[in-house]
Amino acid sequence: MKITRKLNQEPVNTGSMADIAFLLLIFFLVSTTILQEKGLMITLPPDQEKQPVMPVNDRNLFKISINSKNQFLIQDEPRGDLAGLKADVKMFILNPAAANDLAESPKKAIVSLKSNRGTDYAAFIAVLDEVKGAYYDIYGERVGLSGDQYRHLDLDNPRQLALYEKGKEGIPMNISIAEPNK
Amino acid sequence: MKSFKRKTIVNAEISTASLPDIVFLLLFFFMVTAVIRTDENLVKYEVPKAKHINKAEMKTLIRELQVGLPANARLGTEPLISDGSHYLKINELVQWVNQEKATLPEPYKDQMIIVLKADEAVKMGLIADIQQELRKSNARKVLYRSKENI
Repeated sequence: MKITRKLNQEPVNTGSMADIAFLLLIFFLVSTTILQEKGLMITLPPDQEKQPVMPVNDRNLFKISINSKNQFLIQDEPRGDLAGLKADVKMFILNPAAANDLAESPKKAIVSLKSNRGTDYAAFIAVLDEVKGAYYDIYGERVGLSGDQYRHLDLDNPRQLALYEKGKEGIPMNISIAEPNK
Repeated sequence: MKSFKRKTIVNAEISTASLPDIVFLLLFFFMVTAVIRTDENLVKYEVPKAKHINKAEMKTLIRELQVGLPANARLGTEPLISDGSHYLKINELVQWVNQEKATLPEPYKDQMIIVLKADEAVKMGLIADIQQELRKSNARKVLYRSKENI
């Protein structure tokens, strides 16, 4: 009689269950690699052989070349670093003063990126980054946001998607990646 | 009255019995979402930094290429291309793209995103060759994987 009463009063101790589960939890936390696919997205042009080359008016082309020593030639002007490139690209695309040597219209503007076979990948990415940044700034300005805010718009939200579409409407991101010279 | 009062005091202890349940719930969440890496990287790469990056939508469309020096030093000091489990030669890329495209459902075949994880010291010659092969095989959406530079 005494024993049965004791059994009823003391259930199996489940206090250590939490510890075991925590141990497993920590193992999975540590071994998990959460997919992080962030980077600079571009769409390559179609295969050359299938596509006729369209002549482009010289004033609509913003030329950036990088040589094998990672030096930049921007609009035929040698530069040591990329300071001010973003502002130049924005000026070129929008051409607010309708200058003769800048793009006819934002739609026709093309930014051409040419590298050498010996150029470092990092230098190429640095330039691409600046050019994309210039486009995002332009898109953002059209809807009253900063470039960063525009980039972080949530496309699953219909109102933010509308802003996103409005921002880039009529200004395609024409970034041409030319084949490098030998 | 007296006995009733004593009983309530005894029962006022906070029950920790539901704690394991909560932890198990978390555990199952992580077990389900976890992608356990089975193979070691074949190449070493340190992706470059960039400021104006965005996320790739539609994770199922992503296929990965890695470019960098081989992890095994005996394979030389020239950068190699890897798809995560095999080394690929430049002339095998078209075939690889077609194989990967075959795993996608029909409407998404042309929307495959190639995530290029290349080391920042790789020369553009190799990157351009890869781009050329991707253009040939009509896999034209490329994401240059880069770290956020704040």
